[in-house]
Amino acid sequence: MNNALVPVKVDDALGELIQLVSFRLDQEEYGVDVLKVREIIRMPMVTRVPNTPFYVEGVINLRGKVVPIICVRKKFGLTESENDKQTRIMVMDMDGELMGFIVDAVSEVIRISGSEIQPSPAMVAGGIDQECISGVINQADRLLVLLNLERMFSRDEKNFFNGM
Amino acid sequence: MPPIDCEDQELLEGFLAETTELLEKLDDDLIALEKASEDMDLMNRIFRSIHTIKGASSFLGFDLLVKVAHKTEDVLNRLRKGELVVNPGIMDVILEATDLVKLLVSDIKAGDIQERETESTIAKLLPLLLESAKIPQQAPEEPSIVVQPEATENETPIEAPSEESPASDLPEEPVAAPDKPTPQPPVSGAVAVAKPASNVAAKKSPTPPKPAEGKGGDDLSDNTTVRVDVKRLDDLMNQVGELVLERNRMIQINQDLHQGENNRADFQEEFGKLTKRMSFVTSELQMQVLKMRMIPVEKVFKKFPRIVRSMSRDLGKEVDLQIVGEETELDRSVVDEIGDPLIHLIRNAMDHGLETPDVRLAAGKPRCGTLVLAAVHEGNQIIISIKDDGNGIDPDRVGQKAIEKGLITEEQFAAMSQREIFDLIFLPGFSTKDKATDLSGRGVGMDVVKTNIKKLNGIIEIKSTKGLGSEFILRLPLTLAIIQSLLVEVEGEIYSIPLSSVLETIRVDQRQFHLIGGQEVLKLRDIVLPLIRLQRVFNVQQRNEPSDFCYVVVVGAAEKRMGLVVTRLVGQQEVAIKSLGNYLANIPGIAGSTILGDGRVALIIDPVGMTEGCEGAISR
Repeated sequence: MNNALVPVKVDDALGELIQLVSFRLDQEEYGVDVLKVREIIRMPMVTRVPNTPFYVEGVINLRGKVVPIICVRKKFGLTESENDKQTRIMVMDMDGELMGFIVDAVSEVIRISGSEIQPSPAMVAGGIDQECISGVINQADRLLVLLNLERMFSRDEKNFFNGM
Repeated sequence: MPPIDCEDQELLEGFLAETTELLEKLDDDLIALEKASEDMDLMNRIFRSIHTIKGASSFLGFDLLVKVAHKTEDVLNRLRKGELVVNPGIMDVILEATDLVKLLVSDIKAGDIQERETESTIAKLLPLLLESAKIPQQAPEEPSIVVQPEATENETPIEAPSEESPASDLPEEPVAAPDKPTPQPPVSGAVAVAKPASNVAAKKSPTPPKPAEGKGGDDLSDNTTVRVDVKRLDDLMNQVGELVLERNRMIQINQDLHQGENNRADFQEEFGKLTKRMSFVTSELQMQVLKMRMIPVEKVFKKFPRIVRSMSRDLGKEVDLQIVGEETELDRSVVDEIGDPLIHLIRNAMDHGLETPDVRLAAGKPRCGTLVLAAVHEGNQIIISIKDDGNGIDPDRVGQKAIEKGLITEEQFAAMSQREIFDLIFLPGFSTKDKATDLSGRGVGMDVVKTNIKKLNGIIEIKSTKGLGSEFILRLPLTLAIIQSLLVEVEGEIYSIPLSSVLETIRVDQRQFHLIGGQEVLKLRDIVLPLIRLQRVFNVQQRNEPSDFCYVVVVGAAEKRMGLVVTRLVGQQEVAIKSLGNYLANIPGIAGSTILGDGRVALIIDPVGMTEGCEGAISR
């Protein structure tokens, strides 16, 4: 990952301003690098793709491009919920390929400085792979989990996707 | 060697494109020349090609290339003037030289110029340039005589002696040879020394060029740039112009509608017309663009005379290669993929199919075998067939071999139809040869054929009669970008099946299905068709009331047939293939996706992957 979402070494990026897109997922707020987000769309009609991992919702037609859609809730092992008016797909650029992620709601674009990012606490258990959390931002009134979605499919999934 | 000057990059690219083109043509012409050595036009064309290559490379300062090209040009010049007469020996040297030129050009293309060993090839060319190498005028017929005995001598298909025999034991050769030394005495000593060398070179030459033959050209072909006929481009521009007009019309209609100037009936009529025109223009446009992607199959076919020539010399067989329909056009992506399978099929026909002249004569056939390579359009498919009049496939022998190699059991063999037996030859590791030679016997070739044809969504058919010959028929889609497809519904979900692999569709009562070892099958006329329920394979939820009747789409993938069970047939549609992206690229049974008229994504079924999934299920 040459252009990792957030500098992992906190010291190097002290004064650097980072823009994040924040989104909601089951009460928690998450953030991803704004530069990775291509667009944010409402739920279109999704075509199911058989024999894929459970969290692959299917594919959509994004203006003539076929884009795979991942349900982040399923991926993170959260309870599933009905799609509502707030549900959005964040279309992200993943190593040159587009991929859509279903989230509960997209809130805003925020600016933070690199120094605000803290390393993520040691995770006890849970569905979120530690690897794709690149840090947390602990502000007075909010807690933001920084995600690096490119790392979401680190080992097993990439093997699965490529080795079938 | 001067380094490639980056400033002249454009010049260099032009040079490479031109040279590559010339070299591709050259191979073909040279083989043709061997058959028709009297053809002055051909001769001149070959000479011009080499001359152009030489000129261009000397301008760019590729010294090695110039040296080789120059000597080759000199030899050709002598041939042209009639000072030398074309014979297989000379031809081998010239072919070796062109291979070397190709190698050097590909070095330049790769950007790293290496110090290649050119001396040995040049050394072979040199003797031909000496005065003494002049072939006596009284033996102008020599080439044709030489070709014939060469093949006759080789009663046994043992490789090594077959090369020597034409040179040493020819009845004609001794007659011609004494003639050669006659002009020698008057010439200076230096030449006299060179003279025997020329004989040696000419005779030995069949052996050394072998490894190079057939290779050099492959890596040269470049598919990153396209040359398009200006006329086609103009047509395209016209079409685009029309499309722009229609778009303007559409904007106009939309505006009118919004401003309420048009009443509803008018709008409907206008919009209907517009839709028709739009669909006309777009399909024209589609055809045009498709045509630009099309290249004649000749691009692949023209490699073959050379391969057949060298193989027939190696195997001691006489082969008349006839190429039919080389102007047939097909998509470049397909052309790129069929080269390898065709080479394997031709090798196969040459090695296993055709017999040696004596065997042929004994069987009452003409001594010279025929190999027909034909391409023809049929609907939106292209059919390529490789037909030989050799000894055909012996089903019993194939079966025995397969049993020996443990690929099938005796019982399985007993139950097999002829067709199924023929299909055995596609199994990896299958070969009727006891020993692997450098030509065949490893059991890889036919597997390559199968894999590549499958990749192209093609179908292979084998027709063979023992003793009379075999024919391999490849049915390939014209293009891989836009395909005709059959849309089917599986419990509410729409899937698309490439029409090229659909053989037929039938509506059947589910009660007619039989169960063989857990595998559902359908008796369809004389064959037993394995069935795959798409609903089960794709885990589709049952939505409708189960009905007794369903549709079976019979598909063929490479040499396999099977039936896909679907709920309903929707219709036939031309669809553009969209990739599912890297992340979902390898789903078994799914080849890609397409976008339907209503904007929904439909998945394209990959019958090949299906068959494999099915095989897997059975073996498990």
